[in-house]
Amino acid sequence: MILLQSHSRYLLQILTNRVQNIDKGVELDCHWVEFDDVRYHIQASIKNPHLLHLSVSLPTPPPETVFSSGLPIGAIEAIKAAYGTVVHILDPPRDGFNLTVKLNLSKLPPNEENKQGLLVKIASVREVVMGAPLRVILKRLASRSVPSNAGMLVPLVHRPNESFFLIPQFEKATVVFPMRFSDSIDTVLATSFLQELVEARRTAGLNNAPTCLWSSSPPNELKDAPEQALSANAGFVSFVISPRHVEGKKLDKTVWNLSTFHAYVNYHVKCSEGFMHTRMRRRVESLIQALDRAKLDDNANIAAQSKSFKRLSIDASRGNSH
Amino acid sequence: MASSVRLYLTCIRNTLEAAMCLQNFPCQEVERHNKPEVEMKTSPELLLNSVVICRNEAEKCLIETSINSLRISLKVKQADELENILTKKFLRFLSMRAEAFQVLRRKPVQGYDISFLITNYHCEEMQKHKLIDFIVQFMEDIDKEISELKLSMNTRGRLVATEFLKQFI
Repeated sequence: MILLQSHSRYLLQILTNRVQNIDKGVELDCHWVEFDDVRYHIQASIKNPHLLHLSVSLPTPPPETVFSSGLPIGAIEAIKAAYGTVVHILDPPRDGFNLTVKLNLSKLPPNEENKQGLLVKIASVREVVMGAPLRVILKRLASRSVPSNAGMLVPLVHRPNESFFLIPQFEKATVVFPMRFSDSIDTVLATSFLQELVEARRTAGLNNAPTCLWSSSPPNELKDAPEQALSANAGFVSFVISPRHVEGKKLDKTVWNLSTFHAYVNYHVKCSEGFMHTRMRRRVESLIQALDRAKLDDNANIAAQSKSFKRLSIDASRGNSH
Repeated sequence: MASSVRLYLTCIRNTLEAAMCLQNFPCQEVERHNKPEVEMKTSPELLLNSVVICRNEAEKCLIETSINSLRISLKVKQADELENILTKKFLRFLSMRAEAFQVLRRKPVQGYDISFLITNYHCEEMQKHKLIDFIVQFMEDIDKEISELKLSMNTRGRLVATEFLKQFI
């Protein structure tokens, strides 16, 4: 798996399972955590097997990000638009969560294909909620209208207490990611990955991809950003998104890719560390074998010597007696 | 370039061959103790002059000899930050497994990346020339491993970046 999938696989599994065995509705109460500190809780009772309560907790927003009643701006509209009557938002949400919805499985479309599609969409609730503000701005970009907040910094949360920035302009939008990593090794690996990103953009096949830039110091666009957002140990990456990157179906993909860019880089950094360890373990084994070669031969020689020594001594004693 | 590596390694090999004439020597200070003198440095008459073999500023090898032990310290070249991290990670990984290597020192000598400590007991257990072979192979392998790791890291970075950017087309 190179790309991160937008649906939570576990949630999809629970939902599909539930839909297939709706008559044998069992008690269900499950907590789990996903990357970037997104927590889920799902609950169902025997009494109403087609009703599910799903709660989602989002990463803690940094002070510069605007949240309205615990959710990113536009999230409630986005949920309503994406799910229709199947999902009903409960207010207030459960304690410790940002959003609680009631899923009514009896209202799923009868068509098997549409049903599966909607279940996948429900499993991608994180994309819908967290990507909502980004989607609103990019949609305006796709329609090529002049944004009302042109040139203004829009901070959007993507990790606990961290945000990335969006600068909507006419016919383009610049997205800037301050990249932070907790580990010094991660930082170095990520920096080399990010430089590769800039290099890869220059290859012929990717001429139409968004322009990307990497710099170790904050770019000009962030001059109005708050102080704490400007400390990034792996530099700053900016993408220039133009209307052709957000046309039609591409909008969803772009929103997801941008809002999980940090997680994507981090995921591959961790993967390469795992790969490095496998390699190193193999190398250690081969080196130990090389050292053993020095030893084993020696032991064999000693064994051979001691044997021949015994025989020799007998021969020698005979020889002496002559 | 390749021949300069060979010269460097040959020089180390010859120096080691000359230096590796160790004999059992009990401690002079404490009765019934037998310690590697190169580590203790208690009596200067048991120590020999140390030799530094340099290929360039970044790559060198220090060979310290005493009557019953020999210490080899290596400094591996680190061209950039990525190589630096890879080297550090790999050599730390090796040092943590020093038990399995016997001749490896748990901590490198200051200013070097990795050290070996060979005592007269190791020379009794193992064949001397094979031990020298091992050290030379070790040096070759480290260089090879680090350049391969770096290459694979870059290839991976390129692939990851390309896949990401393809999403927008």
